[in-house]
Amino acid sequence: MTAAVHLDNVTKSFAGVQIIKGISLSIQKGEFVSLLGPSGCGKTTLLRIIAGLEEATSGSIHIGGTDSTRLPPEQRDIAMVFQSYALLPHLTVLENVMFPLRMRKLGNRAEQRERAEAALKLVQLSHLAQRRPRQLSGGQQQRVAVARAIVSSPQVLLLDEPLSNLDARLRESMQEELIQLHRQTGLTTVFVTHDQEEALSLSDRVVLLNAGLIEQEGIPDELYVAPHSRFAASFMGSTNLLEVHLEPSGDGARALLPAGQSLVLGGAPHKRGKATVMVRQEDVRLAPASAGAAATATLVTRIFLGSRTRYVLDLDGHMIRCLAPADQHFDVGEKVSVLIQPDRIRVLAD
Amino acid sequence: MVEAAPRSIRAATALYLAAVLVFVLGPLVVVAGVSFTGGEYIAFPPQGLSLRWYEAILTSSVYVGAAWTSLKLAVVVTISATVLGAGAAIALHRGRLPATSALSALFLSPLVLPSIIFALGLLTLWSSLVGRTSFYALWLGHTVIAVPYVIRTALAVLSTSDKFLEEAARTMGAGPWKAILHVVIPQALPGIAAGAFFAFNISFDEAIVSLFLRSPEITTLPIQIYTQLEFSPDPSIAAVSTLMIGLTVLLIFVIDRVLGIQKVAG
Repeated sequence: MTAAVHLDNVTKSFAGVQIIKGISLSIQKGEFVSLLGPSGCGKTTLLRIIAGLEEATSGSIHIGGTDSTRLPPEQRDIAMVFQSYALLPHLTVLENVMFPLRMRKLGNRAEQRERAEAALKLVQLSHLAQRRPRQLSGGQQQRVAVARAIVSSPQVLLLDEPLSNLDARLRESMQEELIQLHRQTGLTTVFVTHDQEEALSLSDRVVLLNAGLIEQEGIPDELYVAPHSRFAASFMGSTNLLEVHLEPSGDGARALLPAGQSLVLGGAPHKRGKATVMVRQEDVRLAPASAGAAATATLVTRIFLGSRTRYVLDLDGHMIRCLAPADQHFDVGEKVSVLIQPDRIRVLAD
Repeated sequence: MVEAAPRSIRAATALYLAAVLVFVLGPLVVVAGVSFTGGEYIAFPPQGLSLRWYEAILTSSVYVGAAWTSLKLAVVVTISATVLGAGAAIALHRGRLPATSALSALFLSPLVLPSIIFALGLLTLWSSLVGRTSFYALWLGHTVIAVPYVIRTALAVLSTSDKFLEEAARTMGAGPWKAILHVVIPQALPGIAAGAFFAFNISFDEAIVSLFLRSPEITTLPIQIYTQLEFSPDPSIAAVSTLMIGLTVLLIFVIDRVLGIQKVAG
């Protein structure tokens, strides 16, 4: 089966500066892929290259098996939702949704109208069809933009941070709607975001970009649980990174902390010497200090979050964060034992 | 309104308002008043009320001919200046041309360049390249002066519109020309219409370029007024001027209605 979108070693330079440094990526039909990364990582540029709004400096792009590298956007079978929604202010909501069908000459006027109405129904905006975009709320405008993008059933749906202008509660419900919509339409979707939670919750696959290259790609769980690098670990969520010294111990290994305490590592044998290890804050368990515990830390800050409590601990000079159940109570300044399952400590590659 | 505005500021505001009324509206009132005089001379207040000077100009082949020339000229200038100005504004707005800021300065230079210098230059150039001045010379001259106004008003509107609209149109299947026709021009329309209004008025009022480029066959209304004033001043000048003011007011009213509707609808 040919991929819906296939990028082969794509690069892009602006004024001699390379923004995209060679990205190859295959997106399967019906897949929901997120391009995730901090600002300046090249994710929006990559999306614009797929759309044809930017031309790749080198490499090739195939959309639906067609070499589209040099095709202008209007000749690619794509649709895009812009961060600003880019609704046409002089047209009604219905006319906006009909616009792609009109431009692409898909069907006659009556059929176009029918399809546009169906798309509006899908985003539950049928009742606002005759309004102008400026009369709608941000969330409604966003849904019009989505309806306009899906109405022509494109090979690929491109979304450029479409939720970033919405407030937190609306963003959450729009995420759920996007998931449903993707299930209903089965459209191949490329979603650009800088929000790792959004990427994790929406996608079949997450492509993490860093400085114009793919840092890591995989299903959301894999990226979250097993980041390869320090960058991936720190970008994928609240996590603790510790600079340690690895040394063998018994049939496993342990990580020596700066002041001489150590953490037991599980799994396969590791390299020796300096390394960075990662521990998620929810994997750090606390217990009242006892003599036999593996490591002891001093409690620095306590933040009550309702369902849980976040503690910041001083572990041998490393400030580590931990999420503890709300019924567990420790006081600031108290010494506590830090218990971490050996297989929850990941040694990072870099 | 700020309630606690100090007395001094309120006094200054009142003074300023009064000055505007006196210096802007005053001359118009005087001209209109004079036009209704029954007497032979330009004098204010008018001596007796009469429409005789209106009758005089409306039956004068010189005035009617000049008015017809001015109107024809203003219409063709409006068309050419609007097309050129809107095109230039769209090109400048997209910012993909080399040296956009230099081009922008060049396009807008007639706004700051003294028109007497431009008129002299155009006359010299026209004489050496074409020969006798004609309607076309005036058309060219007025267009050059009017274009910057269209560019400015169209650019002002475009600069407030979503700059991704054109790209969005491209992703929806519109080629570059269709995107401009269906998306960019509708966005710029209020500005283009305002610019067209300016272009019409500028051409209709313009005296300096017309004075340099006039020939016996082509006399515009402002030139006719000027000539009349120079050689045999009488209240017919006031009557013509009043009609010109009336036309301008009517245009403003129409444009406001049209653009007002645009704002509500767009």
